[in-house]
Amino acid sequence: MKKLLSVLISLMLLFALACGKESDVVKSGETIKIGFLGPMTGDAGNYGKLMSQAVKVAVEEFNAAGGAEGFNAEVLVEDTEGKVEKANPAIEKLAGVDKVFGIVGSVFSSVSLAVAPKAEASKIVMISPSSTHKDLPEKGKFIFRDVMSDALQAIVFGKYLAKVENVKTVAILYIKNDYSQGLAMDFKAQFEKEGGKVVAVETALQGDKDFKTQLTKIKGANPEAIYFPNYVAEIAQMLEQSKQLGIKAKFYSADGFSNPQILELAGDLANGVIYTQAAEQPTSQKRKDFEAKYLAKWGEKPDAFSLNAYDGALIMLNAIKATSSKAMGGNLKIDRDKVRDFVAKTKDYDGASGKITFTANGDLVANIGIYTAENRKFKQLKMFKLDGENLVEIK
Amino acid sequence: MLNFILLIFIYIGIYAISALGLNLIVGYTGLLSLCQAAFLGIGAYSAAVLMTAFHFGFWEAMLISGIITALCGMLIGIPTLRLKGDYLAIATLGFGEIVRNIIVNWDSVTKGPMGINGIPGPNLFGFMFSSMDKISWVILIWVIVGISYYFVRRIVRSRVGRALEAIREDEIAASAMGINTAKYKIGAFTTGAFLAGIAGSLFASYNQSVAPLTFDFMMSIMILCMVVLGGLGNNYATVAGAIIIVITSEIPRLFGISHIIPPQLNQVIFGLILVLMMIYRPQGIIGRVKLNYAKILKKEILHLEK
Amino acid sequence: MNLFNIPHNELLQHLLNGLTLGAIYSLIALGYTMVYGILKFINFAHGEILMLGAYAGYYVYYLICDPSQGGSFVIFAFIISLLTAMVISASLGVFIERVAYRPLRKAPRLAPLLSAIGVSIILMNLAALFFGTKSRKFDYPIDNTTIQLDGTSITPNQIMILAVGLIMMTALKLFIDKSRLGKAMRATSQNQSVAALMGINVNFIISLTFAIGSALAAVAGIMMSLEFKLYPTMGQMAGLKAFIAAVVGGIGNISGAMLGGILLGLLETFGVVILGIPQGLKDTIAFSVLIIILLVKPSGLLIKNIREKV
Repeated sequence: MKKLLSVLISLMLLFALACGKESDVVKSGETIKIGFLGPMTGDAGNYGKLMSQAVKVAVEEFNAAGGAEGFNAEVLVEDTEGKVEKANPAIEKLAGVDKVFGIVGSVFSSVSLAVAPKAEASKIVMISPSSTHKDLPEKGKFIFRDVMSDALQAIVFGKYLAKVENVKTVAILYIKNDYSQGLAMDFKAQFEKEGGKVVAVETALQGDKDFKTQLTKIKGANPEAIYFPNYVAEIAQMLEQSKQLGIKAKFYSADGFSNPQILELAGDLANGVIYTQAAEQPTSQKRKDFEAKYLAKWGEKPDAFSLNAYDGALIMLNAIKATSSKAMGGNLKIDRDKVRDFVAKTKDYDGASGKITFTANGDLVANIGIYTAENRKFKQLKMFKLDGENLVEIK
Repeated sequence: MLNFILLIFIYIGIYAISALGLNLIVGYTGLLSLCQAAFLGIGAYSAAVLMTAFHFGFWEAMLISGIITALCGMLIGIPTLRLKGDYLAIATLGFGEIVRNIIVNWDSVTKGPMGINGIPGPNLFGFMFSSMDKISWVILIWVIVGISYYFVRRIVRSRVGRALEAIREDEIAASAMGINTAKYKIGAFTTGAFLAGIAGSLFASYNQSVAPLTFDFMMSIMILCMVVLGGLGNNYATVAGAIIIVITSEIPRLFGISHIIPPQLNQVIFGLILVLMMIYRPQGIIGRVKLNYAKILKKEILHLEK
Repeated sequence: MNLFNIPHNELLQHLLNGLTLGAIYSLIALGYTMVYGILKFINFAHGEILMLGAYAGYYVYYLICDPSQGGSFVIFAFIISLLTAMVISASLGVFIERVAYRPLRKAPRLAPLLSAIGVSIILMNLAALFFGTKSRKFDYPIDNTTIQLDGTSITPNQIMILAVGLIMMTALKLFIDKSRLGKAMRATSQNQSVAALMGINVNFIISLTFAIGSALAAVAGIMMSLEFKLYPTMGQMAGLKAFIAAVVGGIGNISGAMLGGILLGLLETFGVVILGIPQGLKDTIAFSVLIIILLVKPSGLLIKNIREKV
């Protein structure tokens, strides 16, 4: 036993020595490493999978375009299982062993909040494609996100429902996870502020598939509309069971709905559901190209978070390309602070998810698109931006 | 890389403390408990709430959350008076799920699914432990592992420990010998939970955040595996078990192949180890330390012969 | 408390919801209780056998037909896929018992329990690896238009689940109570060595039990994925709940499993409605009731308490 232990420890130390390389230089023949952090196993594994595939597409594209000074990039995917205690070793490995220059991730807000200080301390640009918690960008200079915050999305939608669609009563059914609860609470506050009435707030647990009890109660409260800010596996169940129970209300959702799987899972029931997502430029060729590439490579369609992951990866890779320089001995020198500054200056970047601009603290400045599903396709209906307290439609 | 290894040792330490607690319940007293993660969760959340909402210092918070967890352990210990074997396991499993369920739903205190962030580190005579400074954390945690180890050893090598082992071997015989089995069984649960509570508060303070997803059934299983894998009823083996389990689960990352092999494979390997271990060495790698009566007897005889 | 303020059709709807949810728990619990009855150990992998059975059924179903076409051929294809899934699951169950549980029959109780957990982890992650982590839709073989009655609704599929549960329960009960093999099973469950002395091939009986239990799991898995979709972790929580149902009803008792499942479904639905607390706490209610039942009547509702004698 003791022998085994000492062998293990000495192996690890040996490994530690072997890996002690400089952190700002990529040697010739090596690749520029970036990381992806997200759940690859467990209940939310599919979200991590879709996003990591998007980052891989971005890296391939970057390499095909010549990389940075001829250096290719590589993405290292690390599984967090959606848990803080698994994400900590993952980021420690990315930062300490692989010395990555950027991280796309993490997926869940609770995990992103926990790993952000480490990314900040190691001067790794971290762009989260899906953590919507309002506090995240304040965690540091190196922390960015290219997804709308809960607050923004929910505020715009609250105003939209009350003012544009003239909905008076809403019921909310959400899953107890950080994404859904954030949206539900912010939406409720905003909708009530606009004079609307929230007649029922029902919750369910992560992993639940039977929502008939909640929906029966909601049916009893008889709302005009129901807001489901959840992920698609649950939304599909909610739509189907609502129909079974004969609920006639209109259905609204958030960007979690953008996963094309909903069209398959809910079929025609997805038609007419209205949801929010960062607005795309109506003529975005970039998005079409990306979606075609993604479909060809992986045999499935990307969701909205994957668009964000793809954009985030390209933004950081382009920053590395723009700021790095050839050093002695054919090495590539990358200045982490310069990469960060370059990313921070991103303005009106034409990404697959839309125009991307970061605020001073690294949050996304976004126009919000109102979307719907129609005949097994997503369609953008309108586009809004928030001007102070006012909702302004962009034509 | 060094940081990564230090981090692994921090985790090993935290798990080892709670595994030592579980060893007292499962290994020494023979009560199959599947809710050690829940105890860890109670400890972590109590510490988190005390430190963020009530601005307690780490040491007070650690002690209080240890006591709160111990009380919860007592609460779950009471049903053990009636339940045996699998039924007890199921009851503790149920208790674990209840704790997780309440943590997720009690938004006003636990912040629900968001978890609690910004938990400060300990302050020792003006020295602040920061999560960035892993060396001092490793020292702190392993000192506490040492204290817990000594604490558990003192218990099991005393009258109390012999009573616990008697209960494990044959409860009816033990009570016939005049052992108050109820008292000792509840005591085992209380102490085991106390240690998990301490581990939980370290967990919260080191990670600076707690979230409800962490303390699930799988975590209970992992801690149980540490106890079983090392050898039931052997504290030294329990610590070794913690080392083995944590390192195994990090092996792909240690060897830098975590991004090459599919993440599920890692879990499959964990499952395989569990099955193979149970088939080929159910008594654990090290096994239980048994008093060698033959040896003692021989010594006595030699002594008499002289 | 506020139960009386709820309109009667809403109450009736809750009752139907509880029944349909409970029917699914019952279906899974039937297989669970059989295995426990014989071997006296918690087969944690039961939920995963259920999941793999459902995947097997899914692939066969979509291989032979296109469910969107409808018609009698789809029903035929569904039955074929159900049978294939039962066979595949049964073989898997027997294989697992051989490899992971049989070597442990004489080991301390902890060993098979942990081995089962290991098997469950392996199967779940292999499924995620090979089938992907996304949810899949299992199309209904029958027209699933909701039946509306006096403001309440139930779907044909939910009625089918209830019916399948009742049929399976009756068949199992008849098999165990009346047939020779059933008698051998009961004998094995009471005392393996005495059963062996009576000329019963204990290994065969245990394999048979696993085969039947796993085949039932496949049926439950397919019924469940019709209602709740198909995904690699589907067996986890459902398995746990079904196990609770089996314990509540009295483990090893076939009608007890059915009763326990229905009871658990009703409890999850009505518990929160009656107490007026958030639905998220339904698990707390379910598990609390479990602990209370264990305390008051450890052997379950339908089994007589037996005092341990020295």
